[in-house]
Amino acid sequence: MPVLLRRVSALAAVAVLAPPLAAQRNIPATYAITNAKLVPVSAPAIAKGTIVIRDGLITAIGANVAVPADARIIDGTGLTVYPGLFDAYGSIGLGGAAPAGGAAAAGRGGRGGGGGAATAADPRGGSGNTFDDPRGVEPWLSAAEEIKIDEDALDGPRSAGITTALAVPGGGVFQGQSALINLGGASPAAMIVRSNVAQHVAFSAGGRGGGGGGGGYPGSLMGVFAVLRQELLDAQRYRDLKAAYAKNPKNMLRPEFDPGLESLLPALAGTQPVVMIANQQREIERALDLAKEFGLKVVIAGGAESYMVASRLKAENVPVLLSINFPRRTAAAAPDAEPETMRVLHERVDYPKAAGKLAAAGVKFAFWSGGNTTWSDYAVNVQRAVDGGLSADQAVKALTWSPAEIFGVSDRLGSLEVGKIANLTVTKGDVGEKGVRVSQLFVDGRPIALHAPAAGAGGGGRGAGAPPAAARGQDPL
Amino acid sequence: MTHSNMRRLSLALSAAFVLAPVLHAQAAKAAGPAPILIRNATVMTVTKGTLQNTDVLLSGGKITNVGKNIAAPAGATIIDGTGKFVMPGIIDPHSHMGLDAINEGSLSVTSMARIRDVINPTNEHIYYALAGGVTTINALHGSANTIGGQNAVLKLKWGRSGAEMLVPDAPPGIKFALGENVTQKNRNAGPQQAGAPPRRYPGTRMGQEEVIRDALMRAKDYKATWDEYKSKSVKDKTLIPPRRDLELEPLVEVLEGKRLVHAHSYLGHEMLMLLQLADEFGFRVQTLQHGLEGYKIADEIAKRGTGLSTFADEWSYKIEAYDAIPYNVAILMRHGVNVTINSDDDGRARRLNIDAAKMIRYGGLTDDEALSVITINGAKQLGIEKHVGSIEVGKDADVGIWNANPLSVYSSIEQTIIDGEVYFDKQKDLAMRDSMAKERAELEKAEANQAPVTRGGRQGGAPGGAAAVPPETH
Repeated sequence: MPVLLRRVSALAAVAVLAPPLAAQRNIPATYAITNAKLVPVSAPAIAKGTIVIRDGLITAIGANVAVPADARIIDGTGLTVYPGLFDAYGSIGLGGAAPAGGAAAAGRGGRGGGGGAATAADPRGGSGNTFDDPRGVEPWLSAAEEIKIDEDALDGPRSAGITTALAVPGGGVFQGQSALINLGGASPAAMIVRSNVAQHVAFSAGGRGGGGGGGGYPGSLMGVFAVLRQELLDAQRYRDLKAAYAKNPKNMLRPEFDPGLESLLPALAGTQPVVMIANQQREIERALDLAKEFGLKVVIAGGAESYMVASRLKAENVPVLLSINFPRRTAAAAPDAEPETMRVLHERVDYPKAAGKLAAAGVKFAFWSGGNTTWSDYAVNVQRAVDGGLSADQAVKALTWSPAEIFGVSDRLGSLEVGKIANLTVTKGDVGEKGVRVSQLFVDGRPIALHAPAAGAGGGGRGAGAPPAAARGQDPL
Repeated sequence: MTHSNMRRLSLALSAAFVLAPVLHAQAAKAAGPAPILIRNATVMTVTKGTLQNTDVLLSGGKITNVGKNIAAPAGATIIDGTGKFVMPGIIDPHSHMGLDAINEGSLSVTSMARIRDVINPTNEHIYYALAGGVTTINALHGSANTIGGQNAVLKLKWGRSGAEMLVPDAPPGIKFALGENVTQKNRNAGPQQAGAPPRRYPGTRMGQEEVIRDALMRAKDYKATWDEYKSKSVKDKTLIPPRRDLELEPLVEVLEGKRLVHAHSYLGHEMLMLLQLADEFGFRVQTLQHGLEGYKIADEIAKRGTGLSTFADEWSYKIEAYDAIPYNVAILMRHGVNVTINSDDDGRARRLNIDAAKMIRYGGLTDDEALSVITINGAKQLGIEKHVGSIEVGKDADVGIWNANPLSVYSSIEQTIIDGEVYFDKQKDLAMRDSMAKERAELEKAEANQAPVTRGGRQGGAPGGAAAVPPETH
């Protein structure tokens, strides 16, 4: 086990070299939550136990755990401790508006609203003026290089119990590579759990594209698919040319370096997942077909109608990042309005049942906000999924273990296990239950002060999220 | 039809499209559709005359017998055709129905765009068209640019996926477009306005000819590169293939006669330009689409074996249609052109039988000739006449059963059958309306379908967060 050994010794080196957290911030580095219900996810729940975290990692968990002498003790009576919850897709940490790719945006396949869909005035990744210079092709972008610390922006998701989020660059067709971040840390670099987690694709042209032209190529869904195919074909050829040159560089002109095609090679090799936004059944089928054509390891994001394709998703081992921004009627109909279509009526009733159906079919899925920035809705929408047939245990899994697995970090996140990163979400009431409240949050072993999100960043709503006053009252600091 | 009746109909239809996929998914699990025997009907074969008091047997998805007193196979569904008319499923050679995108209008050459990538099998117009006896459509890219995208020939298998609707043997095609839709003269007039989308070449018909010639010459060069590689790679296995170019690949197929060109065009001289340009490059234009001035150059079209697909009327609806005449179809047919009538419109698609009947009034077509412009002639234009377009033993079981002569305004469809399976049944549609109304009432009671309580309840939901799904793109 040389790899493991190396990892262990590297870890030991870090432990020795890094100054203790307490020294950095003058805060305790060891905590013990006692008498709490513990939900490790990877093991059965412990009705009453203790969890100890020290210097950013979980050091002990169990019904009978000795509390270290230097630990700050938090009485967890009446509280439940979960692994830190994930928001499995979005733009948290990137400083932009949230992407709109949830069920509410179904049919447009896109994140049009927020993350910066290309416009004629702001062409991204190409001029769009010729076939060989399409817009929206920026696979080389890396979210890890764009992370910003904005405590106000983090208040919302943290108030919903979220400790970890997938930050997706957003915009365009090939959008670039996401980063998995912890929602706390002294620097952007300290927040990053894993960089270049996945390549991201959306099927939205983002411009005017239709009859009049203008806005550049691609301007329609047809053009988007042509761009995707041509780009992937070019990447395949680039890979083959590089391989041929590496084998025998003599008598061959060296292939010209291409940052775009270079960044697609891990996706082509199947070592990096490709997350595609797809909500309606036909969008998901198109995504699966494209993935099959090029041998991509696809992950579906959005997934409003994923339950209609569940057997194929299961057979092809495709996970879903399921938006929990379920549609609902937002306003009374005008007296003279046409009746709503049966499709719309069905979607509002059926989409919240998607998670339960995916679980029953054995499809792996993780939850994300779906671009809803009213973070107090997060718990409410999880509960809607539970009302729709998902068990509370499965809901917890979709917020912890499953996203950790999908993003390749289940060896360090996603469950309460000794040695793992000390991300904890502490609640009053259980996840999936009505009225659950987030009372405390630990990110990388450090307590996070919970605040009401700033007015502009969403807020209000019912008391099912995190009543900030109460949370602050229980703040261990 | 009164307004309230229309509303009821559209309600039932919109309800039906939610349930239909379920019904068909269940049907598909059985081992193919049960045989159907239509007894004692008036059978309009189109190619072999109209047969009175005749039976038609559909089994295994094919027409397996046409004649008198056909014995019913075990398990067959028997339909009493007394007083009814059976005709081939209608073929619409120019449609944009059921698509999530129609134009990739950004560039002047978008041969890489494919209609098959954007099929929306849940679009309700598919169901409506079935209610007009249509079974096959040529789903075309729009006419925004000189060389548009690749078409898809679809059977209207309501409830199935887009992939299942594709007609597997249909030769591939591509849209070309000439004239004012491409040049967008009105929008291009005057100086470039600030903020307006940049002008797109070409701005004239001269430019359109140049765009096509340039693209085909590039395709020739591309083909030469590949041909060279193919011949050299026989000896040298280490050669790396040239780049695959999705823009030029389909145009090579055009040059090789493997991809059918369907060219949007109205004026005699612009059609002639394209026919002569195709002569120069050695391929045949498969169809001229619209071609309202086709009558002016009927001999030139006929001698090249090019087809023409036009409107039954639409005279003078735009500048390019000022010289249109009602007798276009008849004149072209008498000059030997394979001519069809198309809808180019989701609404018109379900009245193509009436459009065909107009050709009896204008130009004196026989009944069979009138029916041919919405059936067998379209099959020929799409290269699928071996499978569809007439009632003949061995062809696909695509038929419409009408309550009266379909060339009469008093006729309406009873059943529409594709590959031996019933995809529209008027009696079932009527019967479903009550249960649909109940289903709707149940759905409307659901919590998620209630308008929010504004005081003390839910406030300030996510911006757009709970908005209804946007309407389909047509």
